[in-house]
Amino acid sequence: MSAIITLSLLAVLLLYLGLFKAKKALLPVSLLGLLAAIVLYSIQWDTDAEPLYSGMVLFDHFAVAFSILSLFITGLVFLLSRDYFDSISEHVAEYYALIIFSLTGALLVVSFHNLAMLFIGIEIMSVALYILVGIRKRDFSSNEAALKYFLMGAFSTGFLLFGITLIYGATGSFDLTEIKNYLIANPHSISPLFYSGILLLIIGLSFKVGAAPFHFWTPDVYEGAPILITTFMSTVVKTAAFAGFLRLFLTCFVPLQDFWAPVLLVITVLTLFIGNISALAQQSFKRMLAYSSISHAGYMLFGILSIGAASAGAIFVYSAAYSIASVVAFAVLILVKRSRGSEHFEAFNGLAAKNPYLAFTLSVAMLSLAGIPLTAGFVGKFMMFSGVLANYHIVLLLLAVLNAAMGIYYYFRVIVAMYFRPADREEVTVNANYKAVLFIGALLTIAIGIFPSLLAGWL
Amino acid sequence: MTDLIWIVPLLPFIGFLINGIGRNILGKPLIGIIGSGVVFVSFLLSCCLFSHVYDARQAGGDGAFTVPIFEWISAGKLSVGLSFMLDPLSSIMLLIVTGIGFLIHVYSIGYMSHDPGFGKFFSYLNLFIFFMLLLVLGSNYIVMFIGWEGVGLCSYLLIGFWYKNEAYAGAAKKAFVMNRIGDLGFLIAVFLIFTTFGSFEFSSIFPQAAGRVSGDGTLLLITLLLFVAATGKSAQIPLFTWLPDAMAGPTPVSALIHAATMVTAGIYMIARSNILFTLAPVTLQIVAGIGIATALLAAAIALTQNDIKKVLAYSTVSQLGYMFLGLGVGAFTGAFFHVLTHAFFKALLFLGAGSVIHAMSDEQDMRSMGGLKKKLPITYITMLIGTIAISGIPPLSGFFSKDEILAHAFVQNKVLWVLGFIGALFTAFYMFRMLFLTFFGEFRGSKEQAHHLHESPGSMTFPLIVLAILAAFGGLLNIPAALGGGEWLAHYLEPVFAASTAKTGEFHLEHGTEYALMAASGIAAIIMAIWAYGTYVSKKTVPVADGAERSLLSRLSYHKFYIDEIYDALIVRPLNKLSVFLYKVIDRAGIDGLVNGLGRTAEESGKGIRLLQSGNVGFYIFMMVVGVIALLVYGLIKI
Amino acid sequence: MTQAEAVNTSANYLPILFQLIVAGGFGVGTIIITHLIGPKVKTENKLGSFESGIEVIGNARQPFSIKYFMVAILFVLFDIEVIFMYPWAVNFRQFGLSGLLEMFIFMALLLLGFIYVIKKRALEWD
Repeated sequence: MSAIITLSLLAVLLLYLGLFKAKKALLPVSLLGLLAAIVLYSIQWDTDAEPLYSGMVLFDHFAVAFSILSLFITGLVFLLSRDYFDSISEHVAEYYALIIFSLTGALLVVSFHNLAMLFIGIEIMSVALYILVGIRKRDFSSNEAALKYFLMGAFSTGFLLFGITLIYGATGSFDLTEIKNYLIANPHSISPLFYSGILLLIIGLSFKVGAAPFHFWTPDVYEGAPILITTFMSTVVKTAAFAGFLRLFLTCFVPLQDFWAPVLLVITVLTLFIGNISALAQQSFKRMLAYSSISHAGYMLFGILSIGAASAGAIFVYSAAYSIASVVAFAVLILVKRSRGSEHFEAFNGLAAKNPYLAFTLSVAMLSLAGIPLTAGFVGKFMMFSGVLANYHIVLLLLAVLNAAMGIYYYFRVIVAMYFRPADREEVTVNANYKAVLFIGALLTIAIGIFPSLLAGWL
Repeated sequence: MTDLIWIVPLLPFIGFLINGIGRNILGKPLIGIIGSGVVFVSFLLSCCLFSHVYDARQAGGDGAFTVPIFEWISAGKLSVGLSFMLDPLSSIMLLIVTGIGFLIHVYSIGYMSHDPGFGKFFSYLNLFIFFMLLLVLGSNYIVMFIGWEGVGLCSYLLIGFWYKNEAYAGAAKKAFVMNRIGDLGFLIAVFLIFTTFGSFEFSSIFPQAAGRVSGDGTLLLITLLLFVAATGKSAQIPLFTWLPDAMAGPTPVSALIHAATMVTAGIYMIARSNILFTLAPVTLQIVAGIGIATALLAAAIALTQNDIKKVLAYSTVSQLGYMFLGLGVGAFTGAFFHVLTHAFFKALLFLGAGSVIHAMSDEQDMRSMGGLKKKLPITYITMLIGTIAISGIPPLSGFFSKDEILAHAFVQNKVLWVLGFIGALFTAFYMFRMLFLTFFGEFRGSKEQAHHLHESPGSMTFPLIVLAILAAFGGLLNIPAALGGGEWLAHYLEPVFAASTAKTGEFHLEHGTEYALMAASGIAAIIMAIWAYGTYVSKKTVPVADGAERSLLSRLSYHKFYIDEIYDALIVRPLNKLSVFLYKVIDRAGIDGLVNGLGRTAEESGKGIRLLQSGNVGFYIFMMVVGVIALLVYGLIKI
Repeated sequence: MTQAEAVNTSANYLPILFQLIVAGGFGVGTIIITHLIGPKVKTENKLGSFESGIEVIGNARQPFSIKYFMVAILFVLFDIEVIFMYPWAVNFRQFGLSGLLEMFIFMALLLLGFIYVIKKRALEWD
């Protein structure tokens, strides 16, 4: 909890740094704050986890692992933001502060032990995002994205809240342990309210993770938002939303699997196909990443679908692999867009000849997203698929593998463009922060690919 | 000794790193030395490992060693380790991969000496060797799969090596897509194996499988999927069309990847999993059927091709068909023996063809060649040996390996033998046609080419000579008992196929019949060679130009039975249409069109942006509500 | 258990389903019917936006002063926060010293926000 408090104070501090024109201090202070939070979490690792604050939050291994992952990825995003944000808005301090606020919400979502905290966490996370998406005040697409996101987010939050209410109506409590006990105590006479509550929660959470048919906001918002905000949304926010989703279902709803699994199955299959088929047809790299993020949501839903002891580990590794690779991909996109002014695949033509380092790291990221062996993405997919198989969903596995093959096609397009399509272009200048992030990203991707136990052992 | 096995694949990987990073810094000679040096050291180590296994076999053991390197994934009951398995089968494959790999590296130093991508080329070749070694050495299906994917990737990179040519890049893409179809089968099969046997390790799967009854449904499914994977990697019907196109890559690549090593991965994998296939007789029949069909079809196409590399490519497809025929009729040793001899003579033929192309200033059309035997004596003699070997004329290597496959086919099914025999006739004819068109008669090329004609440098002829010796004497490894031979290879490999042999019983054929079969195929091959001599040397026939009239059969063969066109019409175009349809209707019209596109036009025509906004989100929310209603209706029914 | 208590099945909810269908159907039906039978005039004037008979000039998306908004929103914000003080004041004694400290922290945070607002000159009218 001390980490969450630290971060909240950090955000306020950042706002004041902005007021007193200490722009240079923003980045170091934010990074230090994140580092402090990571340290505070790591200290908690070995202590016995008990629900805190009347059962509001619980910092078990699950929560700590996902929190550290979120903090780490946010750190990478911050490293990328040095020049980026100055160029699109003068409110730099607000930008840092809002991201930290959103992160705080994400940390609550991964460690909630009470449905009220789930709701509060999601709201803190989302409200800050609504502003961040529209932070380019004079850009129509940014405005449009923010408004769309806000309207649809508010709409879906309604479902989430209604679901929580119904669960409360059936069980008389928001507390996860109480809800679980209710199911154990009344295995045969569960109130219909409870079932409806689960369905509404699925709707609300599916929206947050961007699963079909509640995904419509994703491509437009990802495209309209500034690239770094898109990065943050598709990594940290998505990871946190999945962790929350999983935590809720893992703790409470396992006994009712027969009821909700078919619903989630349909959602998963729809998500996979819509994401992948749409991604195939894209000409813009950024939009392709948006659709691919939908399809990755589909893969991660497998983890919830085949819920069990291994689910948490699988989703953790998968989201770590996906987040790291996405950060690298978006970082390169920022650089390419800055030099070529375009987000299309053509803008990557011939990159390998002038910037071999960029091209190599992006290739590693793409291979990881595509799930090629010896990258982190493969380990993630592998753990996810073997979880599915353990429950004997063979047809589902066939679909997933088919989709993975589709994915490879569009991820390779950019590699082909970089290496096999000649183009006259100038060398893209890369500053030290970007170099560092790309290096860390590629290194971790390969390291996890070769030594998955680095991460798989956490949960 | 076996503890050091990890060095074997590591060395080429180090070579890849050095050459990849230093490709612009290191000079060409240094890159060449590093690139071939690491493979050479790997080869030496492989020799030591081989002798180790050999000693173990002599001492009466099964010669199998499993060397765990490290635990890779361990989650729950799922445990995958990077571990290597050294046994008679993999020890021989090691020698093929590193030995022939080394020769081809040396050859490339001369062949690629004028190419600006010299360093890149060597780093790719080294990477290929690394993945191929992983594939061969893996002691479980996951490591094998990693190697399998890796060699596919390298093949893709190397086919498209001269990527500035649009057609070459297309060929690379085609190879990649067809391989992916196969890989899909592999991946699903691997997962099925895991659910069935609870492990990925060969040593745990095969004994369990041996306990199952023949014709088991799960095994049938697994083996069919594995076979799909093999058809992709080893270019069998229906996924074979990528291999001839893959000739777009530099010739050493064709020799190394698309003739000697990677394309035989499918055969290696099936031979490795032989017990699974033995217990799935239906699959074996399919394997044999597809194998012989491919062998015949590709041989028929090769009869009329004029591009020297295309002839060899179709010949490779055809020979791979023979290997699958061998697997299908249970001649696992025979099939693997053919892998071995084929690696020798096909690498030799490709490198020889490369030498010819090099001398002819990149001309590949045999109609412009002829009379080269005086100018390229070493190339000529070595290629002659290769041609005799592949045609199955005794006593060169191809005769023995092909004969063993055909003998098994004869016992199993006479029809298969007849078809195989016809294919062998075709083989002899088109190979000698190629040889005579290239090296005999008058020179038909331009004056400039005639002026440039020269024998290749030593770095290119040396591998040719070594390979020629191997191609000539490789057959000695497994001389059948009927000829008084010791069947050394069969005995050496015995433990690998022991479980299968126990199920099917010993193969038995009267010596008299075997002599008759050998005589028939040997003599027939010689007759075909003479016929080719009559047609192309005595009568000096030269294949007609592209546009000329042809008979129906010749036209079919020349146009490769229109397979590419058929695929294009049946699969590629409908898929493209579907994709365009999806793009236009779902993405453009459905989402973008209804929403953004409509909005954009609305904005442009000055109707105001508010219209777009409301229409836009409204549609989204409408879709969401549809989803919500669907879920609630489900709930209503279910509760 | 008696018969009356046990009846808690989906059949009981059928009336609600009917009500949903009727309510939804009425709305959708009305829209469709008006769309079908209503007169359609598609002249230029009809499709253009109505500006009291004057020709439309420029884009409707013009920026306008948001100062009213700013003040109104800030007022609502601080007003709502102050509502927390009522329940706190009622239970003031029970909370003891820690309650007092917590309220101080809460007020301090509000104050920080207020300073931020002033520093950002959100309340300056010009």
